[in-house]
Amino acid sequence: MRVRRAHGVWHEPAMPATWKEWFKETAKEKQAVLWSIDADGTLVGFALAHLWSMGNGFDINQLVIDPDRWRLGFGFDAALALHRFVFDYLDLRVMTADVRADNAAAKRIADRLGYTEFAHGHEVHYRDGAYVDELKLRMDKETWLERWSSEREYPPLAADATR
Amino acid sequence: MFGPRVDGRNGVSLVPSTLEHFKLHLPWMLQPEVGRFWGPRFGEMTTERQEERFKKTGEDQTQFMWTISYHDEPVGFTGIFDIDWVRRDGESGIFIGRHDLFGRGIASEAVRLRTRFAWQELRLHRVHNWIAHANRGSRRANEKSGYTQMGLFERSYFRSGEWYDEWLGEAFPHTFPEEG
Repeated sequence: MRVRRAHGVWHEPAMPATWKEWFKETAKEKQAVLWSIDADGTLVGFALAHLWSMGNGFDINQLVIDPDRWRLGFGFDAALALHRFVFDYLDLRVMTADVRADNAAAKRIADRLGYTEFAHGHEVHYRDGAYVDELKLRMDKETWLERWSSEREYPPLAADATR
Repeated sequence: MFGPRVDGRNGVSLVPSTLEHFKLHLPWMLQPEVGRFWGPRFGEMTTERQEERFKKTGEDQTQFMWTISYHDEPVGFTGIFDIDWVRRDGESGIFIGRHDLFGRGIASEAVRLRTRFAWQELRLHRVHNWIAHANRGSRRANEKSGYTQMGLFERSYFRSGEWYDEWLGEAFPHTFPEEG
């Protein structure tokens, strides 16, 4: 799987051994959750998020799709599955994500899911010789229930299911 | 890292923290007046933990930490943390541990010294922070040194039976006030 701009500057060579070490260290973090994104049995990306220390919120740190698989909808589908896990399984109250202002694909996914901007940081990221702004976004559980309550993995239990 | 000594006005200085200063952190942070606007407070409140934190802080190449000194007495801490040396951006923080000295302008002067150091010594591009929206004193201290609001995170944490919002600020060299 290829990745592009999936990480900030590293102090080690950007090679498979470095990635392996990074995955290994990330997996040790108690508050971190790391997923591979699979489509029809093929690895197409990965996602990383951190649970808040008191466990009522989740920050998405990375959601990366192989550039060869861009524009096939995998980013949105993976994000929707991840949010279903967060709201329907973990019962958390809020998700947050920081998005570079020039990342049109990420903004589209966030808009469609129901994220709203709560802060706009100016000249936060630096690359290609220039600074780029950062949008700080949030999505509350109420929004998830309004927009995506039909996305449950299983239908609600029947009224007599536990009789 | 610990920052160097920086002398300011009205008896306020930033000085490199010592282990003895770090040990003061525990009794200070357990006073209700000091932690009034903090979120969930938990963790290991032991001297051993403070010794470990002191060592880690000294070794950390992505932060500058100071003890705030008032007339040569330690009264709190401030610093710039998680510095990204490529973006030249860091997150700032401050707390005054001596609540009997609140309202004397110590935080405002400490923020001014810290912010000036960020621009004139570290050559940072931006500093940002999160402050409890209800903590007007801290917001005002930061605004005086050029921080402006970039957002508001509503219902950030639950404390004493109600939700608290957080104010997000950012500062740049060009927002630092001219010094007379």
